[in-house]
Amino acid sequence: MSRQIQQSIECIFKNNQKWVSSKKEEDPAFFEKLAAGQTPDYLYIGCSDSRVPANEIMGLEAGEVFVHRNIANLVPNIDLNVMSVVNYAVRHLGVKHIIVCGHYNCGGVKAALTPDDMGLLNPWLRNIRDVYRLHENELDKITDDNQRYNRLVELNVIESCRNVIKTAAVQQCYRDHQYPIVHGFVFDLRDGLLRDLHIDFENMLEDVMKIYHLSSHSAHSETSGGA
Amino acid sequence: MSAAGLAIRSRFLARPSEAAHRIAGQPLLLASCPVVIPAHRVSPFSTSAPSYCANHKPSGATQTNSTASSTTDKYAAGLRKNKDWAAQTAREHPELFPTLATGQQPQILWLGCSDSRCAETSMLGLLPGDVFVHRNIANILHPGDLSSGAVIEYAVKHLRVKHIVVCGHTSCGGVAAAMGNKQLGILDPWLLPLRQVRERNLAVLQKLSPVEAAEKLAELNVRESLNVVTQKDVVLSAIQERGLQVHGLIYEVGSGVLRELDTSDSDEAIKARLVAFKTDA
Repeated sequence: MSRQIQQSIECIFKNNQKWVSSKKEEDPAFFEKLAAGQTPDYLYIGCSDSRVPANEIMGLEAGEVFVHRNIANLVPNIDLNVMSVVNYAVRHLGVKHIIVCGHYNCGGVKAALTPDDMGLLNPWLRNIRDVYRLHENELDKITDDNQRYNRLVELNVIESCRNVIKTAAVQQCYRDHQYPIVHGFVFDLRDGLLRDLHIDFENMLEDVMKIYHLSSHSAHSETSGGA
Repeated sequence: MSAAGLAIRSRFLARPSEAAHRIAGQPLLLASCPVVIPAHRVSPFSTSAPSYCANHKPSGATQTNSTASSTTDKYAAGLRKNKDWAAQTAREHPELFPTLATGQQPQILWLGCSDSRCAETSMLGLLPGDVFVHRNIANILHPGDLSSGAVIEYAVKHLRVKHIVVCGHTSCGGVAAAMGNKQLGILDPWLLPLRQVRERNLAVLQKLSPVEAAEKLAELNVRESLNVVTQKDVVLSAIQERGLQVHGLIYEVGSGVLRELDTSDSDEAIKARLVAFKTDA
């Protein structure tokens, strides 16, 4: 094992100790409270990209945001992974807000615009090409490559929001409690700032439910099963 | 974007009862739907029943929750804090954001739980750009899952991370659910690998107290996820060719401390693994 690799993992445990000490200085009962359980108000669905850490960019502490991160913050309709996360966060934790957060300069979105065979990544990234196809007219009109790519990042967030809203969990919980509200954000790596895409949640919900309505009967929700 | 642009829209701050009144004219959403479902059943996941229930009041009783007032709403606060964080981080590390805008070279791939208490970059004391992250329910890795599969492929092959960390934690709701026997709908297929581990270790787990058994299953689950990671050819190749390391950790939510598990394999086990899983182009 090389010395450099060994040192970088040892450094993590030192950093962890420092973080524990600083949290205890701010609030001696910080970890005791967390040990009692989690009651996050947010579900964050974001990109795995190392430059976009959920808690840091939103200024939230441990315990405040439930997090799912995958390549290019996708919410594919048949992905059991993200559907389980949405189900758990909405039905069992009762989160008030669901935030889908993309970021400019996203490698996944860039790869999806590149005519390369990415092997195992192809089927995952194909979802982004589908977003392009859904918004082909708008995107084709943008002549600047970078601007078109950044707009696809935004549209990809919006489509992920739409896929979240398609779930029975979100529709039924919103009907009964008027939450969660779904938001779309984009993080800008150049200045560290979050931008709200101001998705009109209620209109989007109504629009989605024309076809994806899953909340008129309650049978399945008795087992809190549907996603 | 201006401060006004980032300011929260007033409707997010509305009390649930006001929101209900406002959209009562939309039968599609509300009027035709009798409210009969207790939407949140926490018990199957509960690692600490009383505190879990704080968020689970019926809508009429939620006026004291954090969406009720602009002074306590964490969503609005979060957007404000982002500005503070961006400014402070830029002060402390002036080169960071300009560098990040050009690309990422993380050394660590983190495969952890979605649990809000397990904030990886914070607990590791690291910065943006340091940790590539996949978090899901109970840090489970299904061999055929495209989501985690794509993350591992991208991180190992394209970003060439030096470490893969699988991190489980104490008081895990997914583990608690798999130790119980309640039907949970779509979560059931997701939690299946945890139940498989439970089955294989039933005798050991049954000898322990409920708390100890949950901690044991969390640890066994980390080992199982590491198994799945090291069954992938891309990982085996990187271990052989460039010394990629895999680690198993348990995060103690009650103390904030990370504990490393001994996950070293015998020479025999490593040999068998390579025979069974190593593939050639």
